[in-house]
Amino acid sequence: MTSYAGSLVSFKTTTLNSKPMSELNSAQKSAATEATPKAKSTKSAAQKALEFEQLAIPLMPQVYGMALRWTKNPSDAEDLVQDTFAKAFNAWDQFEQGTNLKAWIFRILTNTQINSYNKKAKDQAKVSIDQFEEWQLGDVESLTSLSSRSAELEALDRLPADIIKQSLAELGEFQQVVELAVIAEMPYAAIAEELGIPVGTVMSRLHRGKKKLREKLLDYAIQEGYVSDPKLKSDSSKATQATETTGGNS
Amino acid sequence: MTFDCQETKRHVHEYLHNELSEAEIKEVTAHLANCDSCETDYDLEHFVNNSIQDACSEVPPQELAEKVLANIRAMQAGIDHA
Repeated sequence: MTSYAGSLVSFKTTTLNSKPMSELNSAQKSAATEATPKAKSTKSAAQKALEFEQLAIPLMPQVYGMALRWTKNPSDAEDLVQDTFAKAFNAWDQFEQGTNLKAWIFRILTNTQINSYNKKAKDQAKVSIDQFEEWQLGDVESLTSLSSRSAELEALDRLPADIIKQSLAELGEFQQVVELAVIAEMPYAAIAEELGIPVGTVMSRLHRGKKKLREKLLDYAIQEGYVSDPKLKSDSSKATQATETTGGNS
Repeated sequence: MTFDCQETKRHVHEYLHNELSEAEIKEVTAHLANCDSCETDYDLEHFVNNSIQDACSEVPPQELAEKVLANIRAMQAGIDHA
């Protein structure tokens, strides 16, 4: 949770140097903060806007990043982000303070994307009911042996962010579930509901997606010389062969 | 019931995403405390999750951030005058 605090700070300084709402109506603000917070219906419009600005707006870099990867087009991504925040503001009374705001906003993003921008996405999401017996029945072997997993960790630590984004984008049908679980931190049930797939499929796609992602990142790390451990290399080539024989489903 | 390595590894994502029951969390936590192999596995998956989160934020264009804020101010004004 603390890991992206840095990016939020820089986002704040670069984007909010136009007058924030908190300055525009500081008089209303102090009045609003004195009002009783328990009765949602009595929340003033100013208080609502202030809360929204402080809590929801800082999520914009993550929301915009997701929108960009989904639409693959900056102009569509901007429309999607605008729609998402407008809907979220309109529904702000329904958000329960103290619950997972990030998951709530990303739910709105997912819903907006599926309904307005890419009706195909919903159909694609439903295309295949995945087989998840594979991992349930114990295909849980590690990609690498214990001794080389610390080398894998070290290698992953050095990989550029672009490689991680690119690898995510290559996950096919697993991409969206991995993103919603890992970045949006949405509960499985919420992901299942938004994508119109069973919870078992969410689990299956998350497990397989993460495995595929680790394989891709490890391959890249070896190719580009981020890894020197020869044991890791031979482990990974085994993993890659295994992927090739079971792959092709994206 | 005690989780073995296979069961523990199978639950890695559900553990990290807080999708397990309290009883299962106890099982996993107890196993991880005594098993380097599984613990390293969990660390690795946790690390990958953090890397994904770090990599996937994009600073929005200034114009977009301003538009979103302007939009909310306009909606707020609408509520005020309603």
